[in-house]
Amino acid sequence: MADITAAAPRRRARRLNLRLWLPLLWLGTVALAALFAPLVAPHDPLMQDLMLERLPPSFMAGSEPGYWLGTDSLGRDVLSRMIHGARIALFVSVIAAATTCLFGSALGLVAGFFGGWWDRVISRLVDIWMAFPPVLFAVLLVAVMGTGLTSVIAAIALIDWTRFARVIRAETMVQARMDYVDSARIGGARRLATLISEILPNVLPSIIALLMLEMGIAVIVEAILSFVNLSISSDDPTWGSMIAEGRNAIHFAWWVLLFPLIALFLTVLSFSTLGEGLKQRFDPVLQ
Amino acid sequence: MTGSQTHPNTLDVMQLNIALPNGHRLLRDVSLSLRPGEVRVLVGESGAGKSMIGKAVLGILPQNLKVTEGEILLEGQHLNAMTPWTRRKTVAQSAALIPQDPLTALNPARRIGPQITDPLVRIHGWSRTKARETALALLDRVHIRDPKRVMESYPHELSGGMRQRVLIAAAFAPSPRLIVADEPTTALDVTVQKQILRLIRELQQETATAVLFVTHDMGVVAKVSQQVTVLFAGKVMEDAPTERIFTDPRHPYTRALIAATPSYADLDRPFSPVPQALIAELQDDIVRDDARHQGGAR
Repeated sequence: MADITAAAPRRRARRLNLRLWLPLLWLGTVALAALFAPLVAPHDPLMQDLMLERLPPSFMAGSEPGYWLGTDSLGRDVLSRMIHGARIALFVSVIAAATTCLFGSALGLVAGFFGGWWDRVISRLVDIWMAFPPVLFAVLLVAVMGTGLTSVIAAIALIDWTRFARVIRAETMVQARMDYVDSARIGGARRLATLISEILPNVLPSIIALLMLEMGIAVIVEAILSFVNLSISSDDPTWGSMIAEGRNAIHFAWWVLLFPLIALFLTVLSFSTLGEGLKQRFDPVLQ
Repeated sequence: MTGSQTHPNTLDVMQLNIALPNGHRLLRDVSLSLRPGEVRVLVGESGAGKSMIGKAVLGILPQNLKVTEGEILLEGQHLNAMTPWTRRKTVAQSAALIPQDPLTALNPARRIGPQITDPLVRIHGWSRTKARETALALLDRVHIRDPKRVMESYPHELSGGMRQRVLIAAAFAPSPRLIVADEPTTALDVTVQKQILRLIRELQQETATAVLFVTHDMGVVAKVSQQVTVLFAGKVMEDAPTERIFTDPRHPYTRALIAATPSYADLDRPFSPVPQALIAELQDDIVRDDARHQGGAR
């Protein structure tokens, strides 16, 4: 009988994957800005100077040197406020998304794998949960727990775990039907061990993609809550409160609104694109 | 057999009934046994319940199917009487599966190596090194060149035939007393089928493992088995040594099944499927049988 050789591992040309690297570039910049905000920001984000109110960005006529993206109605530097705002945005997105992911994925895995009563209870809970209007739910939660970052994070985790639970449950059910699960069981693997070492690695790419999506969503939710003044105090620079403030002056000082909006948009887009890119990168089957 | 008291059969299935939750029986009083080192083929058309017997033995029946009556004895031990975890360990210690579809039977997200060695370490308590050496030796035995690289590969890097070889190696690795081969050649193309069949036969003879071989192909029956169980609609039609099945088939369904097998030696012979009249007659039998069974159970 002829010997059989493994196909040479496919060596793909290391093409620059833009879906992966463009979002990473932007998020890296934001993360660095957030980490080193006090060093990078040209001005104190809280310093008001009524002599310098509503200065246009530096590429327009009438700008002051050093105020590159202009100032708001209280003369605070827009760029500095954005850089400090990135701190809050990233902090909330990482902590809230990680909490949501752990909680939701665990429930999804259990429901999808163990089935029966586990599935019935968790699925009904998801159904009931999703019947609440999310924004109202968030506002209500923050109103009850008081404003502040902890409330914002708790609100995101409590609302969005259903997203993970639903998707991961469905993926787990698909994987649980695969023959390799039976093979592991015949090989004497316990139920929980099968779930963790056989099924989880196959669901992980989806969990990562969802996690990235959730980080984007967390940034938006935080912005919405600070837009309606339910996040942290309105003095503290957040992208949401900057947008809320810029809204009043949009006709004569559009930059106060536009730049934080662009940052928000790019960040959310980057997170979701990065999620897809990572999913492709780490899924051995898709490769 | 006179020695059967001291050396129990590798597998005894006695009066096994499996039913859907609504009470509809899928296996009807199936009995069969395997002596150590024996190959028994379960043959029948699709839906006859042949895979289900193997799954019941290994404890991987779909959740909605239940064993309603009957006993399964693995090396003389009553599996049904055990707690789930004891049963799981007992099966893992003495039985293995060569699955039907090599594409889904290997975990796509894990490397081949640990998939072979995990049960050896987990259930048989071997050291990682010993498990790895055994796996390498067996991969070599199933004619895989460069076993080291294959151990490091992911399943999608291997062809279908290679994956089935890997699964054969994995099945034989813990030196089980019983292997259930569930249509191991169905998902492969014809040229590979023959090699795989020969490989299973060779390893079976070298290790004297009892094999319960599930197939729908009478051609395979002749090549691998000593004993044949012919199934129709979850019921045993005939149980006989392989030679006798071909020279002197007693049940009309067995005769029809043999007649329906195409032959390369006689290509001009017209195709003769199992006659509808025979199928109808057998089904009537089964309906009557079920009615009697239900009457008895109530």
